[in-house]
Amino acid sequence: MEMLRVENIVKQYAGHLALDDISISTKKGEIFGLLGPNGAGKTTMIRIINQIIGPDAGKVFLDGRELRRDDISKIGYLPEERGLYKKMKVYDQVLYFARLKGMGKQEAKRKIDEWFEKFEITSWYSKKVEELSKGMAQKIQFIITVLHEPELLILDEPFSGFDPINAQLIRNEILDLKKKGASILLSTHNMSSVEEICDSIALMNHSKLILNGELSKVKEQFRSHTYAIQFKGMTFGFANALFADFSLEHSEQIDENRAVAHVKLLKGNTLNDLLRTVMQVVEVESVNEIVPSMNDIFIQAVNAKKGGSHE
Amino acid sequence: MQRKEAVMSKIGLIIQREYASRVKKRSFLVITILVPILIASLGFLAMWLSIQETKNIRVLVVDPGNLCGGKIYVGMEENPPATFYFQQDDISLEEFQHSEKYQAYDLLLGLDAKVITNKGIKGFFREKISTQVEYYIRNKIELRLEEYFALDYGISLNEYRIIRQEFNFHLENIDPDKVDTSYAQWVGFFFSIFIFIFIITYSSQVMRGVIEEKTSRVVEILVSSVKPIQLMMGKIIGIGLVGLTQFAIWIVLVSVALFLMRSLIFQDMMNPENLANAMGPMEGMSADILSGQMDVITKDSELIYIIYQGIPWATLLFLFVLYFIGGYLLYAGLFAVIGAAVDSETDSQQVMLPVMLPLMFSYAVGINIIFNPGGPAALWFSQIPFSSPIIMLQRVAAGTVHIGEVILSLALLTSAFVVILYGAAKVYRTGILMYGKKASWREIFKWLRY
Repeated sequence: MEMLRVENIVKQYAGHLALDDISISTKKGEIFGLLGPNGAGKTTMIRIINQIIGPDAGKVFLDGRELRRDDISKIGYLPEERGLYKKMKVYDQVLYFARLKGMGKQEAKRKIDEWFEKFEITSWYSKKVEELSKGMAQKIQFIITVLHEPELLILDEPFSGFDPINAQLIRNEILDLKKKGASILLSTHNMSSVEEICDSIALMNHSKLILNGELSKVKEQFRSHTYAIQFKGMTFGFANALFADFSLEHSEQIDENRAVAHVKLLKGNTLNDLLRTVMQVVEVESVNEIVPSMNDIFIQAVNAKKGGSHE
Repeated sequence: MQRKEAVMSKIGLIIQREYASRVKKRSFLVITILVPILIASLGFLAMWLSIQETKNIRVLVVDPGNLCGGKIYVGMEENPPATFYFQQDDISLEEFQHSEKYQAYDLLLGLDAKVITNKGIKGFFREKISTQVEYYIRNKIELRLEEYFALDYGISLNEYRIIRQEFNFHLENIDPDKVDTSYAQWVGFFFSIFIFIFIITYSSQVMRGVIEEKTSRVVEILVSSVKPIQLMMGKIIGIGLVGLTQFAIWIVLVSVALFLMRSLIFQDMMNPENLANAMGPMEGMSADILSGQMDVITKDSELIYIIYQGIPWATLLFLFVLYFIGGYLLYAGLFAVIGAAVDSETDSQQVMLPVMLPLMFSYAVGINIIFNPGGPAALWFSQIPFSSPIIMLQRVAAGTVHIGEVILSLALLTSAFVVILYGAAKVYRTGILMYGKKASWREIFKWLRY
């Protein structure tokens, strides 16, 4: 089931084109990662989905229906640049934002108690935000984002600025919300978190979408069919045996007669073909596929586009 | 229909927050209570001093030629502003200034023996005396010397005093409802300063609020829940209501203070038969006690008379509220634009200049108008929306304005703030999400078209 669909969005600013015909869609209950270097247009995209700004062309659909103003109560947004009123008390502040999202007063109060008890921070209620540390304030912001139980959570760089313990806490909360059925769109630079929690990704660069799909499929797409083989025997003989069907990308001696070699399959050969070939000359100790990390994919995809364009 | 309701309640929430967060501040409480006390005490002081002027001045007339014969005609006046003492021995100025013997006298007048021919009288005061008292003293001395002439020409004192009677010369406005005096001008000017301060204070609070939300990035969370225009209008309305609340409290407190002063301190200035009336029930607490009951207070002190009867308080206060709302909305829109365009409060100074100039200018025009309330400057600047809130009130206080002019200027003001707020909303929408740079006015105008 589709949760969010963005169709052919274009946004032009005075000096530059921020979004160039972008289309993405996310499924219900999945965590969707919106990736891209700084200035790629992620925040503009997120602002359009949040109806903070309007697109010049294109449409946004939520739950199969074109996005409307009152859909904002179904969306929870944690902006990248986030802040709170410094002089306002924590409780009043959370209540204020909850009510701006359309919650009733009593319901909001009940939910606030629930979340604050969960995080064991009810003692912060009457503190002013300026008395809180940055990490504490971020917890409050997270609560504000999720308090009204949005169907779609939009988190812009949710892990930036959190210490590792809080980042872990937030990660768990995100997974928990997913389990409860929320759909999540998050933008991040943190590639390890993408691999850990995202089901699908879209990669943007220079206002364009350059990669999109389920994480596993994207990774499949970027598989280089390279294997790390650890063996006992002569590296020279190993390299000779590969001949034209495989390419030796890299090799490293472990000790006098053992080495690890990275070998890429060529011309439709399989791992079995490779093993058959090298078994004749060396003793294979272990084989692993070298899977590209999201980080590699990110860099590779961004650089590939850079090379292709006139920039 | 339901959608409309939701939108309204969001603005309502914003107004509520903006209002409550300011009204609950201790500084609000302090200023709200201190200012009326200050105003009331200053008012009291001014009025009290205006009565104290009738304090008796002791005049020492040094008359070596004994022209006055040690006597002066003071008539039947019960409380003369000055008493005359005569001495034939001439004294030096140092003596008068320092000698113990003369400390009781406030004024030294020297009648040279040649005064009859050279017509010169010189006096020295310890403290400046009011023009009214000066006039009184001069008149009495002149009268005495004229009597000397009269005797010379063979006219008896009685005859001369019949001839030489003081006429009661009094200038009044042709329209009996208007009290056109310089005091009223000053009260009007006071109002224009007051509305000037009010507009500056509260519209710059709008700017500060916008900057606060922008620099703390709260605005990012806010705009995902409410439209920028709701945010801007909620803030402007909320802060404006704080201003009106403060104003209302001030009016009540100052009225009570004036009422108490009138019934307790300036009591003797009222007619006994009306006293009971004025001291009566609480119905008189509002502004109408100030403007009603024309004959209660005598005209002994012009200032007290003006304050209690000459100023059209009810009209003035009503118009104050209207002009404050209009002027505030106009300038708050402009200040909101500045807040949205800059990144910090220190950046705002430069961008503020074009907005502050018309306000400052109106203030300067206001000073000019005290002395020329019917001139072309008054006429024009009480219509131009950027200055009309400041200038028109002053003219109303002075009673030099026609109702049609007020309606026209209010209409112009209203259309001006509608246009300004419309433009401000557009600029605001773009500006609040622009970080890290200070926009120039050129860029601001560009945002108008986004």
